[in-house]
Amino acid sequence: MFLLKKAIGGVIDVIGNIDPNQFVPSEPPPPRRPLAYAVSNESAEEQQFRKVFNQLAGDDMEVSPTELMNILNKIISKHGDLKTDGFTIESCRSMVAVMDSDSTGKLGFHEFKHLWNNIKKWQGIYKTYDRDHSGTIGADELPAAFRAAGFPLTDQLFQMIIRRYSDESGNMDFDNYIGCLVRLDAMCHAFKTLDKDNDGTIKVNVQEWLQLTMYS
Amino acid sequence: MAEEQKFSETSVQLTEAAPQTVGSGFTAPGNIYSAILSRNEAVKDARRLKDFQELRDKYVRKKVLFEDPLFPAQDSSLFYSEKFPLKLEWKRPMEICKNPQFILGGANRTDICQGDLGDCWLLAAIACLTLNDVILKRVVPHDQSFTENYAGIFHFQFWRYGEWVDVVIDDRLPTYKNKLVFTRSGQNNEFWSALMEKAYAKLHGSYEALKGGNSLEAMEDFTGGVTEFYEITEAPKELYNIMRKALKRGSLMGCAIDTLVPTAQRTKTASGLVRGHAYSVTGVEQGKRKDGKDLMIRLVRVRDPWGVAPPPACKSNDWVELAKTEQDKQRLQPGEQGEFWMCFEEFQKNFTKLEICNLTPDTLEDDQMFKWNVTVHEGRWVKGCSAGGCRNFPDTYWTNPQFRLVLLEADAKEKTCTVVVALMQKGRRVERCSGATLHNIGFAIYEVPKEMKGNQQQQLSKDFFLYNASTARSKSYVNIREVTERFCLKPGEYVIIPSTFDPHKESEFLLRVFSENRSTSKVIDAEIEAEPMQVDNVKKKIKPFEEEETEEEKQFRAIFQQIAGDDMEINANELRTVLNRVVAKHKELKTEGFSLESCRSMIALLDTDGTGHLNLQEFKHLWNKIKQWKLVFTRFDTDKSSTISSFEMRNALTEAGFQLNNQLYDIICMRYANEHMELDFDSYISCLVRLEGMFRAFRAFDKDGDGLIKLNVFEWLQLTMYA
Repeated sequence: MFLLKKAIGGVIDVIGNIDPNQFVPSEPPPPRRPLAYAVSNESAEEQQFRKVFNQLAGDDMEVSPTELMNILNKIISKHGDLKTDGFTIESCRSMVAVMDSDSTGKLGFHEFKHLWNNIKKWQGIYKTYDRDHSGTIGADELPAAFRAAGFPLTDQLFQMIIRRYSDESGNMDFDNYIGCLVRLDAMCHAFKTLDKDNDGTIKVNVQEWLQLTMYS
Repeated sequence: MAEEQKFSETSVQLTEAAPQTVGSGFTAPGNIYSAILSRNEAVKDARRLKDFQELRDKYVRKKVLFEDPLFPAQDSSLFYSEKFPLKLEWKRPMEICKNPQFILGGANRTDICQGDLGDCWLLAAIACLTLNDVILKRVVPHDQSFTENYAGIFHFQFWRYGEWVDVVIDDRLPTYKNKLVFTRSGQNNEFWSALMEKAYAKLHGSYEALKGGNSLEAMEDFTGGVTEFYEITEAPKELYNIMRKALKRGSLMGCAIDTLVPTAQRTKTASGLVRGHAYSVTGVEQGKRKDGKDLMIRLVRVRDPWGVAPPPACKSNDWVELAKTEQDKQRLQPGEQGEFWMCFEEFQKNFTKLEICNLTPDTLEDDQMFKWNVTVHEGRWVKGCSAGGCRNFPDTYWTNPQFRLVLLEADAKEKTCTVVVALMQKGRRVERCSGATLHNIGFAIYEVPKEMKGNQQQQLSKDFFLYNASTARSKSYVNIREVTERFCLKPGEYVIIPSTFDPHKESEFLLRVFSENRSTSKVIDAEIEAEPMQVDNVKKKIKPFEEEETEEEKQFRAIFQQIAGDDMEINANELRTVLNRVVAKHKELKTEGFSLESCRSMIALLDTDGTGHLNLQEFKHLWNKIKQWKLVFTRFDTDKSSTISSFEMRNALTEAGFQLNNQLYDIICMRYANEHMELDFDSYISCLVRLEGMFRAFRAFDKDGDGLIKLNVFEWLQLTMYA
């Protein structure tokens, strides 16, 4: 991490502060409710989604990283306009970890639905901002796409994200795009949760730090 | 070129309003982040009451009667599988009768009459509750009514796995032909017990979830106490004294008679008592007969929640012998409905089960003579990490959570200490409707060997359990919510091991330790630390002189140049090629290959100059680490399956120089192990690279070494996104 080099030198070169309130991460998953209530109050669309979920999740009613990978790769194979070499088990484990609000290691119905709705939303943005129809998001297209998704980052952060998630030519394909946004969304949530007095800074000890960064 | 945008911090900090929680009786499940937030019990208590009052006042002002969206007046709140044969109507007490009252003439045992739901276990516990005013007023706040501040909204408090929760309900109750279908009071216009039943049903998801249960469970939910269960035929000789002391300590008691065969119809014993029915024990008395005979009178007062007259064969009038004054006579007089005295011998002969709920000090009043010392631990069994199963599974038993118990002094006039250990599994009744069943749970207690005494953070190892028997243990593994056992142990140091019978069963649990005298009890957990990074100063000094490089280093540089090409930097694709080529040469390292995603992450974690690539030094560091970690991996791949069992990850990480605590081991196994609870080589390496990177990052920011780092959102995102 190049930031460490500067940090060790005692100087943190920050190009402007970011106001956390400008982020618009997605709404957190709803709190768990009694199943009887949840089922009887679902809309028709939700009921249909639950049927699909029940088929995918298997007996334990939870979606594992492997199941998530199979679902995602099956669906993107039907979209020729989304260039990708497929979601890997590693990125799916990461997505499950950051979406897992009850620490079971898997996604329950509401967690999965929340993730799914985000993917649909971000997929729409992906198509809109892939202006040259290359099937990927180029380095010049990325800032606008992320702003549309609710994340107005600094240029420096965009450069880091491109370095981390794009290929050598600066193009980000679909699975990297989704993996990046899922993580970004979760990290913004985590920061807001930890920033108890809303002053724009958080304090963490080593256990909290490792809990947050290892399970993500 | 788009104009560069700059962001500046706004001068006015907007405070985000807390989300509205309507009809809150359910807290959102804790997640890994909320677990970090602090817990303050007093603040929680105040917030619960404030939340209810604000909600109620809102409806009072609007002059609208509250309707609970979370527990609606629909069939879904009644049943999840069976269908009730009658068409029920939901009505408010105002619609059922004139002049409804919340509590009429004080809450007492006759306010609970069972309806058509098989929840006599719950009602027996409620009846016991009315014996203790302090407890009752906690569960049933008495300042509620159908006149003052009435808005069709009521609340009750229950103890929920270590915490008190406030359950808010509306007052619509199931009726048929204008009569309550379920619990009702002996007085038709009194409603607190019916409303309390509704709140408890909401807590568990539906009325049907309350069908069939154990009074133990309800008594705990009303008191936060610990329950003991006795088969009366096998009970200790001092059972009478246990019961007598229990009531002195303000304990609640229930009793029942086993059914001979499962049947829908309740059968009666020869004495006229009902089998399978939950009775309450409301009094224990003893004394000498007035006529001076030597025989002692020992009486037990029992109550039937149905409120029917007791069968004559069981009834004892010996209580009049104990009534030496008119005041005594008033105190001992049985209540009108369902309450009667029995000789203790008759009680022992007829009843087969006794349940005692011992209360915690915070529930008892200060003037109470007897109190327990209580410590409470929350824990969880995590599949693949700490769900080790019982001792029949020696490879994993040692990974169960471990809790150190130190008994400091013996009971008065005894050489041993009385300890009650209670292990409770959480949340299974709520999940009943989705098919969850209770696990078989139990625990064992081991004496700490001499060499480990005083070291509170050291785990008992796998070898320890192969060669040492337990000092004490729960009788058997049982699929009930809580297993409780009473022991007499010598003062000393012990370790308690809670477990499920089979391994890989996941659940959260609560472990409570009650002792009569002083003791300490804590979870065994380690400090978090890692070996400092080795700085190779000597080699740095001689580096400029190429002729002094070792032969190995020259080879390494040549390989690096071959891989990296002219730019002398390795990108993610190149790293992936190298790593997968290496693992292909080692057939013992089974892997589907390092993914590009893993390689990008590793580069981000090791990239110190911000180029997005690895230079020679960075790659060399990674290479050397992988060689070291590979040796550890091979050593712990005991069955040569080319994978590490996730249970062994704790030992492997220790060998690699990392010491973490239990919670971190749990989440690492969840994050990196596959469905078969194994880690293949690439997951293992990815985990270690990240772990090392995160330790390094923390140290870099913790300049003053106080163990805390402070981050703004920019720093936070740089660290967590570029990783």
